[in-house]
Amino acid sequence: MWTMTVRTIEVRERVLATNDQLAQGVRQRLREAGVRTFNLVSSPGSGKTTLLERTLAALGGEIGIAVVTGDVQTQNDADRLARHTDRLVQAVITHGACHLDARQVATALDAVDLSAIQLLFVENVGNLVCPAAWDLGEDAKIVILSVTEGEDKPLKYPRMFEQARYAVLHKMDLLPYVPFEVTKAVRFARQVNPDLEFLYTSALTPNGMDEWYGFLRSQVRSFPISERKGMF
Amino acid sequence: MHEMSIALEVCRIAELQAPAAQVVRVAVEVGDLAGVEVSSLEFCLEHLLKEPPFAGATPLITRVPGDVLRVSYLDVDDDRPDD
Repeated sequence: MWTMTVRTIEVRERVLATNDQLAQGVRQRLREAGVRTFNLVSSPGSGKTTLLERTLAALGGEIGIAVVTGDVQTQNDADRLARHTDRLVQAVITHGACHLDARQVATALDAVDLSAIQLLFVENVGNLVCPAAWDLGEDAKIVILSVTEGEDKPLKYPRMFEQARYAVLHKMDLLPYVPFEVTKAVRFARQVNPDLEFLYTSALTPNGMDEWYGFLRSQVRSFPISERKGMF
Repeated sequence: MHEMSIALEVCRIAELQAPAAQVVRVAVEVGDLAGVEVSSLEFCLEHLLKEPPFAGATPLITRVPGDVLRVSYLDVDDDRPDD
């Protein structure tokens, strides 16, 4: 007589291994095409779309810029941005999902002529939690924090601020009207990520926008020569 | 918030390793820094593992240090004699 038993199968597979492989593929594709890519992350309403509208209007003539926007529902953001550029703005509607994943970005890029662009923005779903876990193949994450939010956002959402290389402190024109202490926010953010680089902007006034544009120009220019396409 | 996506991915990985209906336990390791809410992940997995192609497997989630997030092993009852 023999007994039935339960067998154990060792798996040891990282749950996000597939996403990370896809993200690596996206990264390679963008590198080979000489496209600098930023994943814009923030809470809803921080001003991502308005910042991109201004950026497309100001830099669209000198740098080829494409945008992939992610929203849970509607393609309102894509429609808003498309008014400022001839280049394709590709909307991804996540139907409830709280983040973009690498497969969605890879699919969206199939519709973008990469040879015509030097800069790609992925405007992630507004959410400071989940997008931190998904690599999309970007060169860097830029976290946007507006002064109408709390200074302690970096402490509340440490993973996002730890993952980002750049932080944009946005809506600076509202600073006189809100009890927001810039030094505090910067201190909290650097507690989580000492290497985080800050930019200060307000999309409805010219304040700080030149620095932002300068930052983007230098990012596109600093791409290794062999991988860079002509600009200007 | 993204625990359902994680749970679906866990189920996909499990299905690749064994016939889903024979899986009785799915063991997952979740790091303290993985950004995953364990009770929420457990809730999602309990639900998914009750539904076809699974047939009532149970999740076993272990907290570990670091940012690990992986399927560590499956227990499978495939009616095979023990040898």
